[in-house]
Amino acid sequence: MDIIVDSRLDTAVKRPAYFRGNGHLVFGFLPPGSFITYDLLRKYVRAVLSTAAARDDSFWRALLIPITIGILGTTVGVVPLHCACLERNGIGLLIAGDSGVGKSTLTAALTQRGLTLISDDWTYFSKQQSTLVAHGLFSPIKLLPDAIQFFQELRELTPAISLNGELAYEVDPARFPGSTVNNTSRPSWIFFLERTSTPGCHFVSCPSASVHEFFEKNAERLPDELIDARALRANIIRTLSTLPCWILRTGESPQRTSEAIDHFIWETKYATA
Amino acid sequence: MQPLEFSHYSDPLDLLRRFIQTPLKATYRLHGARVGVETNDCALLPELPLDADLTGPCTLEWKLIRDADSPGLLEPPMFLTSATLTVVAMGTACLLGLDHEARKLFAFIGTDIDPATFQKYLVPFLCRMTKDVLSGDPVGCFVSWSNDSAHV
Repeated sequence: MDIIVDSRLDTAVKRPAYFRGNGHLVFGFLPPGSFITYDLLRKYVRAVLSTAAARDDSFWRALLIPITIGILGTTVGVVPLHCACLERNGIGLLIAGDSGVGKSTLTAALTQRGLTLISDDWTYFSKQQSTLVAHGLFSPIKLLPDAIQFFQELRELTPAISLNGELAYEVDPARFPGSTVNNTSRPSWIFFLERTSTPGCHFVSCPSASVHEFFEKNAERLPDELIDARALRANIIRTLSTLPCWILRTGESPQRTSEAIDHFIWETKYATA
Repeated sequence: MQPLEFSHYSDPLDLLRRFIQTPLKATYRLHGARVGVETNDCALLPELPLDADLTGPCTLEWKLIRDADSPGLLEPPMFLTSATLTVVAMGTACLLGLDHEARKLFAFIGTDIDPATFQKYLVPFLCRMTKDVLSGDPVGCFVSWSNDSAHV
């Protein structure tokens, strides 16, 4: 990774984050004033940063590092998948589901309840001696404006346009009293979140094939050049699909749903102990 | 010929737009080499001599993608060069990447770049990049990032 700082970029045109790619090459602009290129075959990153970007801790933490791992990760043994990860008493939980179903609000509620937050939107998976490990990047939890009805903490914040163009609150988990954050966990269980109009929370066992299909169907399309990256991701998804998995159908608030998950963990762990 | 209407490409699993289709194809003779061009906009087919020989592999390939979500006009070019790659950004209106070893060039070109601007400014630029790659001097006379930049 070759990073150059150039003060001439301090006067560059202001523009939002913008990325494009073709085959193994990816490049884009990162505000403020910076430009970055990725060569995924040669595993090489070259960036020119404005001094404002280089000196800004949040630029590295919230933009450059997560985006670099997201783009380059699969070629260096770390697979990004769209799900949240939390941990309770050594049990790593993955929260997956379709877009807009409420994964982040549930993640915030579980964090508020005392589960350790690993990641919200994206979780990065690797294998260490054939054991699956989930990684987070200490990123904030992204909540859509309507989440304010469930979290008083949001009243002090102002939503802003996030990287994908959505208006959202980006919440430091430390805002929730008693919350803890870690950057790694061993995933043990998966919950697929589904919203229903019927009150209550129901856990239904989910077949391994459905887990496999969901993660394959929702993974970023990779070009033919990145054959090793595709194989690694397929391997990680195969391993994930062997984990115990439940569909969680809920018509309740995030707080009530998080309470149901916590009871479910305790009861299931007790039953299997 | 009327230019095509370009809709906004939307594929949540292809945020980098790697898979925009480029069904229009032509082969040109440039600096004594065969250059294959693929694009999704006939206005991006360069006004260069076509290659009459329809057989045989191309020496270099251009993929020119019209991108409805790349706004703005051309800005002064910014270069990032290495032994294997040349990347040029002219604002979001035009981003170019050239892999010297694979001999593949691709460009995202915004809809604000009209055909005349493309033919007058961008085509000569692409030809220059091609010539430098073919001559084994891919960074050629392009202005590389200055040596006084600090490494962190």
